Amino acid sequence: MSKRMVRRFGGLLAVLALLGAACGSDGDEAADEPAATTEAADDPAATDATEVELVQADDDLLDTVMARGELKCGVSGAAVAFSETQPDGSQTGFDADYCRAVAAAIFGDAEAVEFVPLTAAERFTAVQTGAVDVLMRNTTWTQGRDTEVGMDFGPTTYYDGQQLMARASDGFSSGSTVADIDGAIVCTNAGTTTEQNIADAADAAGVSIQLNTFEDFDIVTTNFIEGACNIVTTDGSALVGRKANQQPDGEEWVIFPPTPISKEPLGPTYGQNQSRFADVVNWTVYATIIADEKGITSGNVDARLGDGSLDAEAVRLLGGDGELQTAMGLSADAFHSVISQVGNYDEIYSRHLNPVGLSREGSANAGWLDGGLIYAPPAR
Amino acid sequence: MDDGDGVGAPVIGDKPAIERVATRPAEETHRSSAEWIRKNLFPNPFNSFLTVAFGIFVLVSARGLLNFVFSEERGWDAVRTNLRLIFTHAYPEEQYVRVWVCVGVVVALACLSLGLFASGGEGLRLRKISNALNATAAAIALGVVLREPSVLIGADGETVRDADGVVRQSFAEAMADRWAWWLAAAVLAVVALAVRRVPKRSDGSPAAVPTLDFAIGAMALPVLSTWVYPWGHYAFADGEFIAEPGRTVAMSTKVPWTVMWALAVASLIVGRWVSAQVDERALSRLRAVVAFTWLVVPFVLYWVVLRDPDLDWDRIFTVDAPLALAFGIGGGAVLWWLTADGRGELGRIGAIALLGFAAFHWVAAFMGWYPMLQKVRISFLLLAVMALLAHNFSGEAAKRRRLVLAWLVITTVFHYFATVMNTPSTVETPTEALIGGFAVTLVVAVFTLMLSFPLGVVLALARTSRLPIFRVMSTAYIEVVRGVPLITILIFFVVILPLFLPANMEISLFASATLGYTLFSAAYLAENVRGGLQSIRRGQYEASDAVGLSTVQRTVFIVLPQSLRASIPPLVGQVIATFKETSLLAIIGVFDILRMANSVIPAQTQFLGIKREGLLFVSLVYWVFSYMLSKQSQRLERRLGVGER
Repeated sequence: MSKRMVRRFGGLLAVLALLGAACGSDGDEAADEPAATTEAADDPAATDATEVELVQADDDLLDTVMARGELKCGVSGAAVAFSETQPDGSQTGFDADYCRAVAAAIFGDAEAVEFVPLTAAERFTAVQTGAVDVLMRNTTWTQGRDTEVGMDFGPTTYYDGQQLMARASDGFSSGSTVADIDGAIVCTNAGTTTEQNIADAADAAGVSIQLNTFEDFDIVTTNFIEGACNIVTTDGSALVGRKANQQPDGEEWVIFPPTPISKEPLGPTYGQNQSRFADVVNWTVYATIIADEKGITSGNVDARLGDGSLDAEAVRLLGGDGELQTAMGLSADAFHSVISQVGNYDEIYSRHLNPVGLSREGSANAGWLDGGLIYAPPAR
Repeated sequence: MDDGDGVGAPVIGDKPAIERVATRPAEETHRSSAEWIRKNLFPNPFNSFLTVAFGIFVLVSARGLLNFVFSEERGWDAVRTNLRLIFTHAYPEEQYVRVWVCVGVVVALACLSLGLFASGGEGLRLRKISNALNATAAAIALGVVLREPSVLIGADGETVRDADGVVRQSFAEAMADRWAWWLAAAVLAVVALAVRRVPKRSDGSPAAVPTLDFAIGAMALPVLSTWVYPWGHYAFADGEFIAEPGRTVAMSTKVPWTVMWALAVASLIVGRWVSAQVDERALSRLRAVVAFTWLVVPFVLYWVVLRDPDLDWDRIFTVDAPLALAFGIGGGAVLWWLTADGRGELGRIGAIALLGFAAFHWVAAFMGWYPMLQKVRISFLLLAVMALLAHNFSGEAAKRRRLVLAWLVITTVFHYFATVMNTPSTVETPTEALIGGFAVTLVVAVFTLMLSFPLGVVLALARTSRLPIFRVMSTAYIEVVRGVPLITILIFFVVILPLFLPANMEISLFASATLGYTLFSAAYLAENVRGGLQSIRRGQYEASDAVGLSTVQRTVFIVLPQSLRASIPPLVGQVIATFKETSLLAIIGVFDILRMANSVIPAQTQFLGIKREGLLFVSLVYWVFSYMLSKQSQRLERRLGVGER
């Protein structure tokens, strides 16, 4: 039997190999959608010059993005008011608009964005593998992420902080503190730092609480509405949204304490050691803040440039003279595109966060002239 | 409830269907409903207790479900408005005709196959239809009574409240308020009565309609309803919901669905007409063509229709076409040479050398020694495989021609798809993925099944092989994969696989997940097929040896057909399982239908926290598809006579 059998099973092995090849091909072809880079590098017909260029492009993220013609922006896709997926599949929200702002700065076209919805768990891997260029995915700036995880953080665009929400009928008011929650059942979502924060805060205030955790905040809220929880806790921005949309008729929810129990500065995040790209992202954010400071909006930017009512800094920022932006590798009117196509900080904020009940007034997100923390270095 | 002959009826598959038909009419004519109820529901005190207890349990559950579904607090608008998101995610509206083309091709092909593979059968007896209609009417009436009265809405549009909470209608008001439901129940009951009065056929057999015609005819109802009721025709614009055509999110679906229905009817008629016209030999050839089309259609629909590749003709003329031509002609020549008379050992050495040559390119790719187009590497491998098979085709010129022809077809198909797959899409979506939602569920399930079936069969054959090396390898693979949870495999493939790839090769989340599913599913399919293989009696092997069949011939013509037929029930079980397991995609970050309902829709400002409605809808969609699969498998079992022979 031996020789004949070997031959037969040689055939079988070959079929196995064929299947392996089929699977392999399915994999890499499916992955090759942005075909140009992968194939060109693989292509024996491509000239040496092309390859050299590609190698250079790999080094500098800004050049890579510009060559691609599209910004890959990591968002949540499921974060109320920050990045929501609309019924037609489009992305809206505060974070989504900052993606558009960066695209407007680089390409002069706010729509040159490819949104990559990411889960919290995969967001940093996505940056490291180059699946996204920048994260606008309410990511808190922490020391560990800045150093150990290998991220760099841009200017904070939204100062968030953990707060608590309870029913007014249970005797809570917006002036309540953590010291008032003794004996309450506090609910939050599992596996986040919110759990740790509330436990620490309760310890510090010397009160004992019963902490219940649930899979996600939708379930937490459902339990709160149904009375299984006295108090829920998470980032203030999320609580305000819940209150605005889910507070039942005939019931009043209050959010406290006035000073959050944790600091959650949120802003753009990108891989480390990409200074040129980082500059572009940072100054795009600053441009929206400076424009807000000077009252330049998407509606009046052209009119004000025309009638000469702008000061020298604003003119420089909008590409009028001096051309600060060309030094960063952008076109001179890059930030003009940002303001005219997306808007200034206040416009972006009001457009998405006011409808869910988050107002800038009196919060850390007011401009520095109004006592808030939103501040930008001068453009000169 | 929908079946007139009660618990005495044999379970399908346990006993021959024919026998069941023969015994049925006699039983039926002698029983009235009261007698049936007494005999089957209240035969003795203990069974009566069980009937009452379970009846109460069912009623309480039904009441809970109805109260949930019809509650005024439910946000069903979240589902209605987001239908497009749920089914295709961000696929652009102006390109939606491509989605409809895909649906149309599948519908047409399915109905054509049903027409061609028509199995006749007893059909659906009118009495059964009448019973089903009566049961539906009774269920509606029961539901109307069961559901708690609606809350009162005041003149200001707000719900009326008093100290105890919301104020509800009185029972009588609620019953009167639900007149439309009563009317629907009454209409159904009248139709049921009319259907029941249709006389028996002239030969005395009960009146019946063909099942398939009835099913497709019944489909006309939901299709017609789209012309009357704006299902899903809701959009959120300027802060309020609108229900006017032209500004809809879900796009106006009535015309497309009507076209789909017409297409289904037309294909069924064509299929039947053709199968009546042609002779048995032509019919079986036609069926083979249709079966082959099914294999190609998923690739064409996804890569060509949905993605609409933006073909770069310059590159095609300078690189892709010449490459395909070179491989076609060069490979054909090599195969022609290998199969020439008296090639003998030299041919085999040549084939093995070719395999080594092909394998070397892969090693080089992983080491990053020199650049090479991926499809060149794959082409070399394909050619090596063909060369290994070549000795089976040596000798006569006709045989050799067939091998070369097969190679030309393989090369053409492979190079065509490789080019198309590597071409960027012209369809612009705001997000990275082309499709999401239910479409991604279907695509992953279909590609997984198409890839894992052959792999599973090969693994099963290897595991039952007489050669220890294959047996050990296959057993090890199957046991390792079966010992690891699917979600672990998926995360492994998504996170670890990119590290093993050659330097400049990237793999999408989508592709790595499909690969993970394929390898997992193949292990289970292999075990199912092996069960079938073991059911083949010794005599079959001995008989095939006696007539001088080779191992390959015996496997392909004797063993596999019988064992695959025997393992249809577990295989279909595996297919349904794979289909449902695609919901794990939500965990690894793919925006599939479950993730839409579970996280995306509840995060929209206007639908904040509305999750249960979406989840219920998603369960319904999964159930409908799984049920269709299960029904089709029963049809297939009946047609192939599983459990009878």
